[in-house]
Amino acid sequence: MNVSVFFFVNQKQREPHNLPCRLDLEIDKISSLPGHVIDKILSHLSLREAVRTSILCSKWRYKWVTVPSLVFDNQSVLVSSQDQTVLRNKLVNIVDHVLLLHTGPIDKFKLSNRDLQGVPDIDRWILFLSRGSVKEFVLEIWKGHRYKLHSSLYLCQKLIHLELFNCLLTPPATFNGFKSLKSLDLQHITMEQTAFEYLIYSCPLLERLTLMNFDGFTNLKIHAPNLLFFDIGGVFEDVSFQGTSHLAIVSIGLYVNADYGRNLALGKPGNLVKFFAHLPHIQRLEIQSFFLKYLSAGNIPVKLPAVCDDLSFLSIRINFSDMEEKLAALCLLRSSPNLQELELLARPEEQGGLRFVANILEEDYQNGPFNQLRLIKIVGIVGHKQELSFINFLLINSSALEKMTVKPATSDRGWEMQKELLKELLCFRRASINAQIIYQDP
Amino acid sequence: MKELHLAFVDWEQTSTLSVLLTICSYCKVLCSDIFPSFTMIESDSEVIKPEMMKSYVWLQTTDGSIQEVEQEIATFCPLICQEMHSGLGTSKSYPISLPTRVNPAMLSLIIDYCRFHQVPGHSNKERKVFDEKFIRMDTNRLCELTSAADCLQLKPLVDLTSRALARMIEGKTPEEIREIFHLPDDLTEEEKLEPLKNTMDDPRIRLLNRLYARKRKELKEKERLKNAQNEEEIVDDRPLDDLLSFINGGNGDPKGPVASKSKKKNRKKKDQQKSAHEDCNPSNNLSSYNAIDNDKKGTNGHDPSCTNNKLHGRSLPILRQSNLQDTRDLSFTSEYELDDGDLDDEIDPAMKEIDREVEDFARRLNSDWPERMQEILRLGQERHPTPISMNRNGALRIHASTAFSYPSFCFFLLLSVI
Repeated sequence: MNVSVFFFVNQKQREPHNLPCRLDLEIDKISSLPGHVIDKILSHLSLREAVRTSILCSKWRYKWVTVPSLVFDNQSVLVSSQDQTVLRNKLVNIVDHVLLLHTGPIDKFKLSNRDLQGVPDIDRWILFLSRGSVKEFVLEIWKGHRYKLHSSLYLCQKLIHLELFNCLLTPPATFNGFKSLKSLDLQHITMEQTAFEYLIYSCPLLERLTLMNFDGFTNLKIHAPNLLFFDIGGVFEDVSFQGTSHLAIVSIGLYVNADYGRNLALGKPGNLVKFFAHLPHIQRLEIQSFFLKYLSAGNIPVKLPAVCDDLSFLSIRINFSDMEEKLAALCLLRSSPNLQELELLARPEEQGGLRFVANILEEDYQNGPFNQLRLIKIVGIVGHKQELSFINFLLINSSALEKMTVKPATSDRGWEMQKELLKELLCFRRASINAQIIYQDP
Repeated sequence: MKELHLAFVDWEQTSTLSVLLTICSYCKVLCSDIFPSFTMIESDSEVIKPEMMKSYVWLQTTDGSIQEVEQEIATFCPLICQEMHSGLGTSKSYPISLPTRVNPAMLSLIIDYCRFHQVPGHSNKERKVFDEKFIRMDTNRLCELTSAADCLQLKPLVDLTSRALARMIEGKTPEEIREIFHLPDDLTEEEKLEPLKNTMDDPRIRLLNRLYARKRKELKEKERLKNAQNEEEIVDDRPLDDLLSFINGGNGDPKGPVASKSKKKNRKKKDQQKSAHEDCNPSNNLSSYNAIDNDKKGTNGHDPSCTNNKLHGRSLPILRQSNLQDTRDLSFTSEYELDDGDLDDEIDPAMKEIDREVEDFARRLNSDWPERMQEILRLGQERHPTPISMNRNGALRIHASTAFSYPSFCFFLLLSVI
């Protein structure tokens, strides 16, 4: 036994280790890669390039047909023409061809040709996809009116990402939601109020929600327990979150300046409190356009009942002449002890009508040590007293401030105004010894 | 068995105690199952190398060489990680055998990659710079690396390499791509032209494609003919008597027997054609050739080359060497042999062109037939001197038959009959 073992070992030692000699120069290595690797390579190419590989050699003739993502965009149709019928025919032919030749699962389907209007062929393709297991569906109709989505889209239960642009959504009564949907991006869409609420409610895994320019619904009731990212911009009357305890990044823009206080009852908590009631773990918040006006409707407490411990970045579009807005901003600042970055974008004063510009009382500026605030960015100010007192307040209370950037708005008065502003800024006391005030030209 | 090998190698380094231990463990291995003694072996390796703080993993490639890699680096690869969990690789005697596609050169590359990336300290930018430098290698190695990384399920490296390969394919013409990756150019002309993605609705583009195809084929033809000057001749094997009787018989007799004879001959040709490559479909275009004669056979016979030397993929019938293959004839006969069958064309300008040409030719033939014949014969004589005599009727007698291709010959005869 020992002898044989030894012999075996020795033999192993004597085995030559160099690889068999072969001409490495002319061998085609790429065609023998496994299918999923070739799919990966081809998916880094545009669809047109991937299909072009079919004329390389006989092995590559049908290698592209298993590529899992199909993107039809402006590169797919090379000839651009103003004639709708020509374009439509070309693009439709191409998509039909590709879908017919394709085999295997389609993970991603994107149709986003700038010249394509909402043609009925899209219905056919959606139906085809719904029979498979499409995971990502992007449809962008760049011209024409809202395209009514075919009902078979709502049967795609494997959808993880849905992105629609310029579409009309009418889920059928049998719609049960997208059980796997994690990311929803709806821009320029029309939908009914109840349908929208139900859509959000019935997607339990929803993590990202983007809504831009929508009509058909005005009350945003967001019931999404797993929501992490929320970005909306549009016209709405009310926004309320339910169960969104993980929501970390919020960006809201309200594009219309209206009187948001009229629906609120007296004595009840104002919008500000209501808004933040369900956002315990918010980390980044952007308040754009007129949303601060919305938030400032109703009662504004000195400090929020629920402190936003995780809030580290805050960006507010604020009208410094509006007292309520300033109060709301102050409240928010006081409720964010760990805020590190603050951005204040001044909204130019609304035209029309004299408004009594109330000055904030001195005591409102109390209770405001911002121990973590390092960066402040102020954009678009003119040099009014209200703006300056706010800045002063910030400087006095930010003991850890490192940099404050001030960029005034362009104004007719030009250098005069800027001079005034600079003079004032220089006067201010600063709590932080490291603070830099950087003045940027408008 | 490998235990023995181990002990043998480390004889000098180890103390007596460890030697005894290894011998004991070796006996244990022989007697019992592998796994119970596994811990023993592990402690052995630790005893043998007490100075090593890091733990190592042993990897074996298909050629038998065993490499030792730091554990934290190797576990960057999911496959190695998996194998380690199931117990392999912690000692030299039980290395993890890597799949065939991972050869030692690739393994060392992968280990370099892992070594860099598993360190958490590097910034994203540094990693990107490293990656860019890393994938600078020739395409064959890149393909091998992709294959090896895929085997080991090292997804970030597979992504990196496949993106690099995609960048090599992007924006290049098919010829360039074929050259880079050494792909054989083995698709037929038709298959390349087949519109997969861009269907041409525009008739102009279609015509353009057709013209390009035609031009390409013409050029190929000319080249081939140039090369195959003296080789391909159609040897007309029929005995001289046969031919003479044909000529003589055609003079006075009605068309019947002549026609039937030629019919038979041509049918044979037709069958031969059919048995040959199926891509040969010139007869459609040539049918209009029979403006003069209702006999289709003449035209069918015009491509005897269909029957022989049909290479795979060459759908263009090769008009073999014959004296008629002069420049004049070549220009319009090659036009006829288009493989436009795949493109549906109701209004085909090319077809109209052919019709016109044919009529023209027919008219010319009818008008000055004898002169024409002389010209043709003269040209033929230049290459293959052939004694020809004209008998009283204006018909031809041909003593030697090598010069002419059979069908054109037949055609002459039929015309002379008229």
